[in-house]
Amino acid sequence: MVKKHLIKRSPLRVLEEATHGGPGPGALAVLASPKGVGKTACLVHIATDKLFQGKAVIHVSYASRVDYIITWYEDIFKEIAKNHRLRDAVAVHDEIIKNRVIMNFKQDGMRTEQVLRSLEAMITGGKFNAETIIVDGYDFGLALPAELEKFRRFAGQMGLELWFSASLKETGGDMFRPDGTPVLLVPHVDQIDVLITLEAKSDAVEIRVVKDHDHPAPGILPIKLDPKTLLIAQEK
Amino acid sequence: MTTTIEHMRNIGISAHIDSGKTTLTERILYYSGKIHRIHEVKGKDGVGATMDSMELERERGITITSAATNVEWAGCAINIIDTPGHVDFTIEVERSLRVLDGAVLVLCSVGGVQSQTITVDRQLRRYDVPRLAFINKCDRVGANPLKVRDQLEEKLRHNAVLMQIPIGLEDQHQGVVDLVAMKAVYFDGGEGSDPRFAEIPDDLREEAVRRRNDLLDAASMFSDELTEAILEDRVTEDLIHAAVRRGTIARKLTPVFIGSAYKNKGVQPLLDGIVRYLPHPGEVKNIALDRDTDSGSPAEVVLATDPAAPPVLLAFKLEDGPYGQLTYIRVYQGRIEKGTELVNTRSGQRIKVGRLIRMHADHMEDIAEASAGDIAALFGIDCASGDTFADPSLNYSMTSIYVPEPVISLAIKPLDKNALDRMAKALNRFTKEDPTFRTFVDPESHETIIQGMGELHLDVYVERMKREYNAEVETGRPQVAYREAITRKVEFDYTHKKQTGGAGQYGRVIGYIEPMSEGTYEFVNEIKGGRIPREFIPSCDKGFKTAVKKGDLIGFPVTGVRVALTDGQYHEVDSSDNAFQAAAIGAFRQVYPKAKPQILEPVMKVSVEGPTEFAGAVFGSINQRRGMIVSSIEDGNFSRVDAEVPLSEMFGYSTQLRSLTQGKAEFTMEFLKYGRVPAAMAEELQKEHAEKKARKAK
Repeated sequence: MVKKHLIKRSPLRVLEEATHGGPGPGALAVLASPKGVGKTACLVHIATDKLFQGKAVIHVSYASRVDYIITWYEDIFKEIAKNHRLRDAVAVHDEIIKNRVIMNFKQDGMRTEQVLRSLEAMITGGKFNAETIIVDGYDFGLALPAELEKFRRFAGQMGLELWFSASLKETGGDMFRPDGTPVLLVPHVDQIDVLITLEAKSDAVEIRVVKDHDHPAPGILPIKLDPKTLLIAQEK
Repeated sequence: MTTTIEHMRNIGISAHIDSGKTTLTERILYYSGKIHRIHEVKGKDGVGATMDSMELERERGITITSAATNVEWAGCAINIIDTPGHVDFTIEVERSLRVLDGAVLVLCSVGGVQSQTITVDRQLRRYDVPRLAFINKCDRVGANPLKVRDQLEEKLRHNAVLMQIPIGLEDQHQGVVDLVAMKAVYFDGGEGSDPRFAEIPDDLREEAVRRRNDLLDAASMFSDELTEAILEDRVTEDLIHAAVRRGTIARKLTPVFIGSAYKNKGVQPLLDGIVRYLPHPGEVKNIALDRDTDSGSPAEVVLATDPAAPPVLLAFKLEDGPYGQLTYIRVYQGRIEKGTELVNTRSGQRIKVGRLIRMHADHMEDIAEASAGDIAALFGIDCASGDTFADPSLNYSMTSIYVPEPVISLAIKPLDKNALDRMAKALNRFTKEDPTFRTFVDPESHETIIQGMGELHLDVYVERMKREYNAEVETGRPQVAYREAITRKVEFDYTHKKQTGGAGQYGRVIGYIEPMSEGTYEFVNEIKGGRIPREFIPSCDKGFKTAVKKGDLIGFPVTGVRVALTDGQYHEVDSSDNAFQAAAIGAFRQVYPKAKPQILEPVMKVSVEGPTEFAGAVFGSINQRRGMIVSSIEDGNFSRVDAEVPLSEMFGYSTQLRSLTQGKAEFTMEFLKYGRVPAAMAEELQKEHAEKKARKAK
């Protein structure tokens, strides 16, 4: 299969349709789930999809080591290339990774302003025309809504689409509110444009849109995470 | 002195530049009584540290060659291999690592784990070398050894365990608390030569107890005996030492020592640690390749660290001294003495051991014998570095050291005729010493070309030519070593024919060429039924080999090509070796353009480290140089940027970086891969090549 068809057939198009074309420039999306359900894989899949479209991505990580993240990208790429029998996989790979930068920060003691300053330096100083920023390992339990608002304002100024992951922890009480909003994210909900949750069911991981800008949320989507590869897949 | 193997240590001292490695080595020599005065690197007395044996190194304040020196401590003979600290000289480092049984990783208490630390740690890991860490420069402003310990864990994934905690830091740094003996250690006397044990200061007691518990926790993983003793509250120092030793040798634990070599603090406890925790040669498995096997292919054999077995030794370093060539060796098996007969298993040449010596930086000591585990030096042996010597009954070869291909070349021209002879002598010596340094005469320009791993690498040799051989040379512009590669499979069918008068020539070759991702060249014979007689197959191979030496695009070698011969034709009388060689060359030249060839250039892995405030400037500078930023890491005010940048764009980067960051950032680079040259540049290179060719044709 050639790259063009691969983009068109990606199950991520379903996600975009369900959310009126995706979060879009200036918007902030959050992908929330308990640990180990497949958030990082899902984000990397979203990022890889952007890379296939020739868009540049900055992957910001607050936790993982750089080589660990690179391994995620390699694995997801290999899986997609294999599934779709991608032609010239090596050349495509070399082409797309030019548009990916990984930035690693320590959250404790690292101020949001400094992170944003470095992101701006990468985009303007480094002439790296990113359209999408992936933010992995951000601790919503530690952060104040005002901090998230700074990210959102930055996204607006720079015309970026921001994707955060949020790790939900067992706290004894309910993890989700009846409307599907994770309890952890309730204080941040005003800053979030698109909120998606992942929930492990017996055979696969369910993907649910809890918030979609100002539109009514569509709820559970007809796509799932394949439990083996953790890739987003269309329901058969 | 003869030493039993249990009382031998072969260690290296590895570090990032400016971590104080040479100063530490100097102090070790001083405390063990090998030298009687302390000199500093770039010393005011103009003498310089004893280990930097070359004048040039003294001037630049860096260590380039690895000298081996022997010291005694606590009844142990310790051979110290001083390893160079600059990335351009990694072949030297790698060669030293091959002969080490353990290493001390020196870190700066301010700089912590820096890019070069990561490189040398990776190399140590590759050779499975157990290591201790020494966090040096605790007297410096901003010293934070505890943070450096965390970095060892986070950045290098070491199970780093503090054996000591500091008593005071920066200008208050007085000594350390030994967490095994639970005593404070102060370094009294002139030059800190009298360690004094005392009670732990009250304000450190609580922390010492806590850190000791961490140490016991970590060490008990390696000893059930210690675990039991902890539960029964009868822990002894010996039990802790034994457990830490086991963890260290298994490379699952890294004991961390603390101090300031410059201020004479913490060096003696480090020496105790080397003796206590690093393995002796008998505890390390060394493998050689036996080339005399029934199956015909070399098989791995484990060498016996036994003086009674037939000797096997490796020449790991050559040095040209005032008394002729000095060959540093490590004995892996058996024992040698004056008169022992050995064979160089690479060349087959037989030698007899003559004068055998042990080195102490610039001074030497004659010894009667050297046995398994020893490091010594031989006089008057002609060999190349990396050669294996063994008992004539054995055909063993020590597994080779990884040698990267040179990535940069420079044309040199002697200033006068006298310099020409001396230059030839120097080049001959350097190529023997350093396999990454190569030289040849360009058949077209008749210029002498030297090749190496980076600008600094070549600079140092040009300087050495001048200083050591009095051969002054003019240098040209550094030239990147490009490659050409094909991107698609094409078939060939070519006939070489000259049958007009005299002896004729005839050869026809049919087959295909295709790209391959690994290796440089491969020849496959797929001919069935003798369409080309067997004796002419090697001629075809030879012809293709000649053809790939120079691609048609810009005249650089073609890499990653597989040639397959599927059919052909010959003539009873007119076919010959030459005819088939010519046919192969002709075939390759004919189809090469159809195989969509492209130009490749060396791409370097570049790491830039510095304060966060300059991150934007660094990003910009890399972007300017056609670089691709892979990642950036920020931790407080520290930032590191990893990028892939074409070597041809890296000239002058150190100057630019210095001015961009007020000298506060530094970078290292090493060869990563060959990458495709962008179309516009490829065109430019081809144009230049065509012009050069046209000029010559005139």
